[in-house]
Amino acid sequence: MRLYEYEGCKLFQSEGIPVPRYALAANPKEAREKAQEIGLPVVIKAQVLTGGRWLAGGVQSASTPAEVEEVTRHIMENQMLGYNVQQVMVSQKVDIAKEFYVGVTVDDYHGAPVVVLSVEGGVAVNRLARERPESVVSKTVSMGTGLTNEEAKQMCRQVGLRSNDLTHIANVLTALYRVFHKYDALLAEINPIVRTKDGSYFAIDSKVELDDSGLFRHPELNITRESHMLNDLERKGHAIGVTYVELDGDIAIIASGAGLGMASVDIINQKMRSANFLETGGGMTEELLYKATDLVMQKKGLRALFINVYGGINPIHEGAKGIVRYLKEHNVTIPVVAKALGNHEQETWIIFKEAGVHVAGGVSTEQAVEELAHLLEVNK
Amino acid sequence: MSILLNKDTRVLVQGITGKTGRIQTKFMLDYGTKIVAGVTPGKGGEIVEGVPVYDTVAEAVTKQGAEAAVFFVPPAGVKNAAIQNIDAGIKLIVVVTEHVPVHDVMEISEYAAERDVIMIGPTTPGIITVGEAKMGIMPAGMFNLGRIGIISRSGTLSYEVSVNLAKAGLGQSTVIGMGADPVVFTNLPELLALFEADKGTDLIVIVGEVGGIQEEKAAEYIDRWITKPVVAYIAGQNVPVGKRMGHAGAIVHGDGKGTPQSKIAALRTMGVDIAEFPADVVKLVSKHLGNRPKTK
Repeated sequence: MRLYEYEGCKLFQSEGIPVPRYALAANPKEAREKAQEIGLPVVIKAQVLTGGRWLAGGVQSASTPAEVEEVTRHIMENQMLGYNVQQVMVSQKVDIAKEFYVGVTVDDYHGAPVVVLSVEGGVAVNRLARERPESVVSKTVSMGTGLTNEEAKQMCRQVGLRSNDLTHIANVLTALYRVFHKYDALLAEINPIVRTKDGSYFAIDSKVELDDSGLFRHPELNITRESHMLNDLERKGHAIGVTYVELDGDIAIIASGAGLGMASVDIINQKMRSANFLETGGGMTEELLYKATDLVMQKKGLRALFINVYGGINPIHEGAKGIVRYLKEHNVTIPVVAKALGNHEQETWIIFKEAGVHVAGGVSTEQAVEELAHLLEVNK
Repeated sequence: MSILLNKDTRVLVQGITGKTGRIQTKFMLDYGTKIVAGVTPGKGGEIVEGVPVYDTVAEAVTKQGAEAAVFFVPPAGVKNAAIQNIDAGIKLIVVVTEHVPVHDVMEISEYAAERDVIMIGPTTPGIITVGEAKMGIMPAGMFNLGRIGIISRSGTLSYEVSVNLAKAGLGQSTVIGMGADPVVFTNLPELLALFEADKGTDLIVIVGEVGGIQEEKAAEYIDRWITKPVVAYIAGQNVPVGKRMGHAGAIVHGDGKGTPQSKIAALRTMGVDIAEFPADVVKLVSKHLGNRPKTK
C-alpha cells in the first residue's frame, strides 16, 4: 500500500529524519494561511498516490500569499494524472546545494532488505546506476542484525561522501532502515534528501509503501488499505476480501486463484475483452461469492460472466450457492459459464446447472472460453 | 522416485485443530500421506482424524518421529510456529497460509537457511508426490502418476496444467507450488535442481507469473545446470501490474525485468519451450517426450 507523501514524512520524522516545515491544506485559502505561518517562499505539492507528480505540474513553488492561492487552485481544480486532488502539502522551500538519493526496499528474489545510496538524487537514479556505477552503492541487510551505523558510514565512504555529508547521510540511512523495519515497509525512499546552502539536511519527498499483510501490526498508524485505493470497485473488492482489478472489456471474471485469474484474462483477451480480474484467494464461502458476483456485475454493459474455480482449499460447492443466489435474486440474463474442478466438483455442477449456468465440459480454460464464445455467438 | 516428499515421510500438521487443518488432514490421510502428529498449542491430548495432537513440535518429534510439517495457521502465527519447528529439528516445512507479512518471511528465510531447513511457500498449495503423499491442499483428482515434474508459482494453475496433462494421458512425479507471494522461502532454481537430480523425472514444467525475477533467474540456472527438457507457461500477459519497487528495485534487479516479455525471452534463449496458453503445455510436453532428452 502506497502512502501519501505527508504520511511518509510523518514516519520519517518519527525516526528523526528532518523534513522541512509543512502543513496540509484542503483549499487555496487554507494553503495561504498555512504558507504564512510557515513562512514564504513555499512549495505546494499535490497529495496523490501516483508517481509522476513533478512532470504533471503537481509540485510548484510560490513566493507570495496570492501566488500560493493561485497555484493551489490550479493544482486542485485540475485532475492530477486522472485523480482528484483532495489535499496539498504546503512545505517550506529550502535552498538546495546538493541532492542525494537513499532508499530501502525488499530484494524479493533473495528475500532480504536492500539499502541503496546514490550521490545524486532526482529522476535519473536508474540511469546513473547503469552509467556511473561508482556513484551508487547498494547493500543487502540481515533481518537479524539490521543496518548498523558503521555499515551505513561504509556505504557513504564507498560513494565518496566525507565530513558532514558522511555523518548526516549515514544517520539518515540507519533511520530510514528503522522506518522500513518498524512499519513493515516494502519500500522507503527519499528522493531527494538534500543538503541546503546553510548546511542543513532535509528529506524533501517521501515514497513509502507498506506491506498490506503487515498492517494489522500497526493500529497506531490509523491507516486502512481502503483509504489508499483509488478505484471504487477495487476498494469494494478489498472491503469484501477479494482482489479485484478493473479492466476495459465486457466479460466479467471470477477466479479462485491469482494465476488462474490471470490465465483466464489472457485466454479471454484473445478474442474478447475481460471486464475485470477477480480472485477469491483461499477463503471461499457462500457469502463471499455472493458479494464477489455482486461486485463484478456492477460494471455496465457486461456481455457474460465467466467463472473459473478449483476445489483445493476452497469449498466450491458453497461458492456456487452464493453465485446462483445472486443470479436468481437479480434476474441476471447474460450468459454465465462456469468451469469448476476439484473437491466437490459434482455437487458444484448440479448447483450451477439447476440455476441455468452453462457448466464447461472439459478440463481446460481454453475450452471453457470457446464454449463461452459460442454461447455469445448463438445469443447474438 | 520424487522430490522432497514420499509415502514414508513422517508429516506433522501444524494447526490441525482448526477448520481447514481438520478437513485437509482428512484429505491428506485419504491420499496416503503418513501423518504422524498434529500440533496446536493448548490442544495436546486431542485426536483429529485418528492423529494424536501435541502442544509442542518437540513432543511430536520425540514421540512420533515427525520430520516434515505442513502449516494451517493464521498469518500472525507463522513466524513463531516456523521457529519452533526449525528448533525442533523439522527439515521440510510447507506454509499454506496466505497473507504472511513479508518481513516475517524474510526473517524466517534467514533463520531456516542457517539451519539447512527447506521451506516452501507461503501461499502455496503445497507438494504432491503423485500416488504417494501430499502436504497441502491440492485436490487429489487433478493428478496422474508419471514422469513430469511441475513447479508452479500459482496453486490453481498447477491444478489446471496437471489436469490437462492427466487428461492427455501424461502424468507427474512431483508437483510443487513454490508460493504466490513476491518473496518466497525457496526460489525456482533450487527446485529445478531437485528435479534435475530426481531419477523419476524426465521433463520439468514451469508455471510462472508476471512480476519478480524468478523466471529470469531460472533461465540462467537452466543454461548452466539443467539437462532435462523444460517447458514453461507464464501467466498474466494481459494483467496490468503495479510497479512497486521504485528506483531501488530497478537498481537491485535492473530495468525492464519482471515483465512476461522479459521472462519469456530469457527462458526461450536457454532453449525452454514456451506455451502461449496453459493447454499448450500438453502439446509441448508431448513433443519432447517423443524425443530423447537433450544432453549437456
